[in-house]
Amino acid sequence: MGLRVIGLGQSAAGDDAVGFAVLAQLRQMGVPEGVELLEANDATALMALLETPHRVIVVDAVVGHPRIGEVVELAEGAWPTTLGGLRPLSTHGVSLQQAVDLARVVAAGTTALEIVLVGVAIAPPERYTSGLSPAVKAAVPAAARVVLARAGG
Amino acid sequence: MSERTRTIRVGSLARVEGAGALTIRLQGKRATAVELTIFEPPRFFEAFLRGRSHREVPDITARICGICPVAYQMSSCHALEDALGVRVDGVLRTLRRLLYCGEWIESHSLHVFMLHAPDFLGYPDAVAMAKDHPEAVKRGLRIKKAGNAIVARLGGREIHPINVRVGGFYRAPARNELRGLLPEIEWACSAVRESLAWISRFSFPDFERDYEFVSLRHASEYPFSEGRIVSNRGLDVTPREFDAICVEEQVPHSTALHARLRDRGAYFCGPLARFNLNFDRLSDVARDAAVAAGLRVPCHNPFQSILVRLVEILQALDEARGIIAAYVPPERASVEVHPRAGTGYGATEAPRGMLFHRYTLDESGTVTDARIVPPTSQNQKSMEEDLLTMAETLSELPIDQATWRAEQAIRNYDPCISCSTHFLDCRIERE
Repeated sequence: MGLRVIGLGQSAAGDDAVGFAVLAQLRQMGVPEGVELLEANDATALMALLETPHRVIVVDAVVGHPRIGEVVELAEGAWPTTLGGLRPLSTHGVSLQQAVDLARVVAAGTTALEIVLVGVAIAPPERYTSGLSPAVKAAVPAAARVVLARAGG
Repeated sequence: MSERTRTIRVGSLARVEGAGALTIRLQGKRATAVELTIFEPPRFFEAFLRGRSHREVPDITARICGICPVAYQMSSCHALEDALGVRVDGVLRTLRRLLYCGEWIESHSLHVFMLHAPDFLGYPDAVAMAKDHPEAVKRGLRIKKAGNAIVARLGGREIHPINVRVGGFYRAPARNELRGLLPEIEWACSAVRESLAWISRFSFPDFERDYEFVSLRHASEYPFSEGRIVSNRGLDVTPREFDAICVEEQVPHSTALHARLRDRGAYFCGPLARFNLNFDRLSDVARDAAVAAGLRVPCHNPFQSILVRLVEILQALDEARGIIAAYVPPERASVEVHPRAGTGYGATEAPRGMLFHRYTLDESGTVTDARIVPPTSQNQKSMEEDLLTMAETLSELPIDQATWRAEQAIRNYDPCISCSTHFLDCRIERE
């Protein structure tokens, strides 16, 4: 079975773009055959990408972790959504969890059976910033290695 | 009933773009305080723009919001072109309208189907609603995709388009590139009519207020990017004149500025204002659909904004269809722009309402001063006044229903708290 890796984020919101940076790192490192690398920056666009017979890894920034740059690996159902807890950043009123839940309702049967979140802990983005902060940039290779380990590469 | 006081507090308002909270203190049937609290840190975009080239501004301001980046690009382009003495006409102007059509379709459909419809049907969110109404939700998502496709085709990507510049575009699409969008636009037109028939059967709270509605009005078009700023109470000014009468104030409970009209007070901008002030500018298709859905002009019930948004989606789809059918690529994707010193003013209609920009440039075209007034800042006072007016109704409801109704009332405005400085937490306090 193949693997679809989806980077989720906003390229102009500083550390929120870490998912894309991890994808760039994976392209540079090379990925095993059968691994797709896709990007989404809108939760509804993400939903369409979840329709696949393959396993899915979503790489996203998460906020709420005390150590910025920490890489976390969370199976679906283990994504805390409450304020104050570790959570993926919401993209415009629809959270990652909601996008996945919605996909499982409106596209039941065609949505990936296994969806895992590989998150990189960031501080909440507060203003226009280009580029990653040093701590988050330093975490990109580690996050890419976590994805590759799941890809069997 | 005793004069007890209670507080309605939404500690974290969901299904709005951004983070905020709502507190309503009730004493008997009277509200003693309504505070829409925006606690996102201010993002200082206006200060950030100082010292940047005018060429960078559309791309920087687009980053203010992932839902309405086109609005930020359009308002900044119009204001900068005003300062630089540039006029964008013909096909380039039409392409800008097409890009705006795409943004209205995607932004409105997200709000109607994912964020607002669950309020009317008693669901906590779109996921719960989708379990009982999967076809309606699928329809909404596909309509949104049609809008995203327009923005992506013309803007280079769905979020934060990269093809917009002062003076036009970096690249104009080929005819075939746009024609490929037509089948999905055609499908979406009939899907919106179906959705209007569904949503027009919702139960709308019996609430009306005598608002001052403010929007752009153009001589012949439903307003996107140009026109005078008018109201139902006689306001009729240019964007330049609006700059002088729009007052923004700090309030202790919010990090976002509150806007009001000098000597007039709170006003209401957004789809309902545009609809009321420009009903005669709607296409026949959109106007007929509005009437069929039971909308009447003027409409003073903000809860019916959900219907108006659907009418505006149809308006945008219909216009997009016409633009694409008649499209002949321009010889050049932009007009020439030469730097000069000056101050320019621009107002366009973001999905949530009028978005005003002002820029001052030096002789090299570098920004020395910027002012951005987003629609959510303009509507904050009106949102609070709605809740003050609803106090008696809220006081008679159990706390959970009162909280629900208060949140629904805020979502009538589709607030984009990210733009105004993100979320709403609601609390109703009774003593």
